Amino acid sequence: MTTLLNHPAVQGGAAPLVIALVVAAIFARTRFAWIAILAAYATMVALTTGFVFSPLTAGRKTILVGLIAPIFGLVLDMLPRASRIVVTATSIAAGTVAIWIFMSILHQREGLAEVTMGAGIALFVAILVGLTLRLRNDGLRAGAAGLGLGLATGIAGLLSASIGYLLAGVSIAAGAGALLLTQLLLSRKLAVGFLGTLTFGLLTALFALGSVLLAQLHWFVLPLLLLVPLAVTLRAPEKAPLIVRAAVLAAYALIAAAVPILAAWFAPRGP
Amino acid sequence: MQKALAALVLAAFPLAATAAPETFTLDPYHSSVLFAIDHLGLSTVHGRFDKFAGKFSLDRAAKKGDVELTVDTASVNTNDNDKGTRQRSRDDHLRSADFFNAAEFPEMTYKSTNVVFAGDNPTTVEGNLTLLGVTKPVSLKIDRFKCNPATATAKERCGGDGSGKIKRSDFGMSRGVPQIGDELVLTVSFEANKD
Repeated sequence: MTTLLNHPAVQGGAAPLVIALVVAAIFARTRFAWIAILAAYATMVALTTGFVFSPLTAGRKTILVGLIAPIFGLVLDMLPRASRIVVTATSIAAGTVAIWIFMSILHQREGLAEVTMGAGIALFVAILVGLTLRLRNDGLRAGAAGLGLGLATGIAGLLSASIGYLLAGVSIAAGAGALLLTQLLLSRKLAVGFLGTLTFGLLTALFALGSVLLAQLHWFVLPLLLLVPLAVTLRAPEKAPLIVRAAVLAAYALIAAAVPILAAWFAPRGP
Repeated sequence: MQKALAALVLAAFPLAATAAPETFTLDPYHSSVLFAIDHLGLSTVHGRFDKFAGKFSLDRAAKKGDVELTVDTASVNTNDNDKGTRQRSRDDHLRSADFFNAAEFPEMTYKSTNVVFAGDNPTTVEGNLTLLGVTKPVSLKIDRFKCNPATATAKERCGGDGSGKIKRSDFGMSRGVPQIGDELVLTVSFEANKD
């Protein structure tokens, strides 16, 4: 059993998928079903590095933020009316949190380089989170985006020389896949809300940034990741059965995810 | 005037008689910071850090010493630094946040807290290793230590080998345990010139 749980495919894929399916099934009739994304990610963390927060490195801050984001999302979901201002403010807050997470890297730069990098980090996270928050009313589109973003950041993480970011990204894909599957089995969409979209949007943005700043992913892969949440907003056959719509949206997401993956694959490899 | 001069000489005499600590700086061309770790229970992978700096001081009379070593973690080298046609090399992976997290923690440091002597030579260095922002006590056993006296053309030069064991998970480097061993043998082979 221990050998099985030490296998990366189980740690990042199989175990998070199973746990997310169970959690999604338990909360399917509530507005909390998308907590399954967090359950998938937390399973991966528990099976790999564990929940250690001292010293508070960028990686550990990411885990901490991943645990807090759903709570913050839940609070936003309770607001009587989530206006565009709330979405914008949440996106900006996510960008600011990203600066805090990677502060130790930023401080190693000086002057303009530090400011430019900080602004780039905040801008990327704010845009990606903003794009994923737009999907908060559609469980299928959000599920497809989570699947695509998780796979894209995971595989890009592997190509950047980090197993940690591979497992992290794949765990999000497993969670989103479990939620897509649950919706198909129940033949109805599950409420996503800020709870779901903020969690996977922020986490995948942080994984991608971590792969750039703490491993060797090229920066130009980051804007290409934005194609994933954009692709799932394309038209899908609205009157077709749920399974067909889910398949079409997942195909959009996976095709879009292939772009940053291929960019990472064909990027100059350096010395 | 003569009395004053004599008093000054007498006052200075005890200081001259007490040997001051001698400080030495590591010669990077004749020193190595090495590590060895189990891989899949099959073999031992050996690695080294190509960039480091260190100093030590010795006070043989007082049986005291002091050691400082700073290692550039990005210089990790396990003889797999060339990507070739691959996306990444093993050393790329070791530099990432999975292991040495060189971008966030560019340095690993060791600072002694006590040096144990047997006769004139140090035999054990007790100190603190700081890796990935975690500081833990680590003892280095000095397997040999020898000094060559200064000559007309060269300063006094000392050298030796020291080694110790750490558990990398103690420092938060737990990725890959147990497939990649938790226990790591750290070896410092050194030659140093007297300052």
